Amino acid sequence: MKAVAALGRGLGTQIGIIRQSGLGSAGTLIVLFYAIVAILAPLIAPHDPWLTLRDAEGAIATMRPPSAEFPLGTTFLARDVLSQMIWAARTTMFIGLVSGLISIVIGANVGLFAGYYGGRLDEALMRFTDIVYGMPFLPFIIVLIALFGRSQNFVILAIVLIIWRTSARVVRAQTLALKQRQFVLAARARGCSDMRIIYRHIMPNILPLLLLYTAFNIAWSIIAEAGAAFLGFGDPDHISWGGMLFELWISGQIRTAWWWFAWPSIAIITLVSALVFISRAYEEIANPRLRQR
Amino acid sequence: MKEYIVRRLIYSAFTIFAIATILFVMFRMMPGDPTAQVISPALDEVAQRRMREAFGLDEPLIVQYFLYLKNLVTLEWGRSFTSSEKVYDILVYRFWNTMLLMAAGLFFTFAIGISLGMVMGWRRGGKLDIGATIGALIMQSAPPFITGILLLITLSYRLDLFPTGGMHSPGNRQESLIALIFTGDFLHHIVLPTLTVTAYYLATPMLIMRDSMLEVLGSDYVEFARAKGLPPHKVMIRHAARNALLAVVTIASILLGFAIGGQVIVETVFSWPGMGLAMVEAASRHDYPVAQASFLILAVIVIVMNLIADISYCWLDPRIKLGD
Repeated sequence: MKAVAALGRGLGTQIGIIRQSGLGSAGTLIVLFYAIVAILAPLIAPHDPWLTLRDAEGAIATMRPPSAEFPLGTTFLARDVLSQMIWAARTTMFIGLVSGLISIVIGANVGLFAGYYGGRLDEALMRFTDIVYGMPFLPFIIVLIALFGRSQNFVILAIVLIIWRTSARVVRAQTLALKQRQFVLAARARGCSDMRIIYRHIMPNILPLLLLYTAFNIAWSIIAEAGAAFLGFGDPDHISWGGMLFELWISGQIRTAWWWFAWPSIAIITLVSALVFISRAYEEIANPRLRQR
Repeated sequence: MKEYIVRRLIYSAFTIFAIATILFVMFRMMPGDPTAQVISPALDEVAQRRMREAFGLDEPLIVQYFLYLKNLVTLEWGRSFTSSEKVYDILVYRFWNTMLLMAAGLFFTFAIGISLGMVMGWRRGGKLDIGATIGALIMQSAPPFITGILLLITLSYRLDLFPTGGMHSPGNRQESLIALIFTGDFLHHIVLPTLTVTAYYLATPMLIMRDSMLEVLGSDYVEFARAKGLPPHKVMIRHAARNALLAVVTIASILLGFAIGGQVIVETVFSWPGMGLAMVEAASRHDYPVAQASFLILAVIVIVMNLIADISYCWLDPRIKLGD
C-alpha cells in the first residue's frame, strides 16, 4: 500500500508540472473531453452508427451536408457522421490507451532489467530491441492483419509488439546512469533485493520519463491505428476515425463530401496534438536543461 | 572505426535474418491451409503440385525454412497470385520509385527542419520560435493521409494546380526512370507527395535542432566565439549550429525508421507506384508472395538507414567511444 501511495504522490507532482503550462492544460482538457465522449458513447450517440437513415420525407439520406437534422452530415451509405464520430472516439481511445499502457509496461521492464543487470541479459535484450527497430511499423501491422484477420485485438497486438522498443532504450539508458548513484549503492550495501532496488529505488526516479513515454506511446498508437484503418486494415466491427476516412476514400466521394473528411480529421489532429502538447509541456518543465536560462 | 563499422554490418545482417525468420513463423502461424500463402488457389491441380515441390511444402518445417532462406537470397520470391508475374520483377522497379520519393521528402524535411530549428534556437521565444513550434506539432499530429487528402482537395481538385496521383501523365512514357526524372511532368507529379512527407516529419528534426541549439548556446566555446567579436551569424552557423547538428543525426535513425510507415500511406493516397502501395494492395488481395517480399524489402531499407545513421554519427563525433 505504501508503494501505491508513494506512486500516487509522484503522479500528483507530475500532473502539477503539466498544469503549469498553458498548452499542457489545453491538451489535458481536450484529452478529457474525448475520454468523456468515449465513455458516454452509447448514451449520447443520436443514431446507430451503422443504420441507413431516412429524412423527414422518408427518402434515404445519403451524402447530406450538415443540417439541423444531421448536425455533422451523413455518409454515402446514409449513416450519421456524428454518431460514427462518437463511437469512433471510443474505439480510438480504447486502442490508444490499451496499447499505450501495455507497451510502456513492457518497455519499462525490458529497460530496467537490461540496464540494471547488464552483461549478457543486457546484450540479449538490446539485440532483440535492435531487431524490433528493424521492423517497419505500419507495414508490420498490415502484414499481421492480412494474415490473421481484421480484428481490434490483432491491431492492438501489432502496435504493442513494436512500440515498446523506444521506451525500452530510453529507460535502459536512464537505469544505467542511476545504478551508479549513491542511493542505489547504499540500498545494495544494506542488502536490498534486486527486485526491491529496481522497483522501489530506481523506478520512482524514472517516473517522469515513464509518464512522458506513456503519452508518446498513446499518441503513436492512435496514429498507427488511424493509418492502418485508413488503409483498410482496421476492425470493420469497431468504427474508428481512420476507418471513417477509409470508407470515404473507397466511396470516391472525396471531392464533394467535405464534412465526411473534415470531422474525423479534426478529431485525430486535435487528440494527437493534445497528447503531443502535454508531453512537450512536460518535457520542457521536467527537463531542466531546456528551461529558460 | 573500421572495427565498429564491421560490427554494425554484422548486427544489421543478423537483424535482417531475424526478421526474415519472424516473418516465416508468422506466415506459418496463419490460420488455414499453410500452403495457401505460396501457391495461388487459382492454379490447377498439376501446377499446384509442381509449385508444392518447388517450395518444398511437403518437406518437414525445418527443410522448408532453409529453402525459404535460400529462395530469399537467390531472389526466387515466387509469383504474384494476381498477375502471376515474378515477384522480383514486380518489385525491382517499385523499389526505385519508393527510394526516389523518400529521398526527396527526407531531403526537404532535414534541410528545412535544420535551418528553421537553428534560427528558432538562436532567437528563443521569438515569433518564429513559437509559431513554428505550434505549426510543426500540429502538422505532425495530422497523419499523412489527412495532409495528403487536404492537399489533393485544395491544390488538385479545386485549384487544378497539380495532378491527382501517379508518377507521370499517361502521355509521358519514358525509356527509363532516369529519363523520366528529368521531365517537368515528373517534377509536377512529385510535388504533392513530397510536400506531404515534409509536413509530417518536419517537427522532429526542427525541434531537436532548436533544443540542441539552446544547449549549445550556453556552452563556453560559443561564449568565447562571441567574446572574440565574431559576427552573430558566424557564431550561429559555424560554432553553435555545427555542434547542435549532432543531436539531429542521433534522432535521424529513429525518424528514418518511422518514415517508411508514412511512405506507405503517401504512396496509397497519391497512387505512387512504389513498394508501399505494392504492399498495401498485395495485403488486401491476400497476394502473400508480394506482401511478404515487399515487407522484407521495406525492413531492409529501415535497417540500412539505421546503419547509415549510426555510422555517420560516430564519424561526426569522434568523442564517442567506438567500443560501445
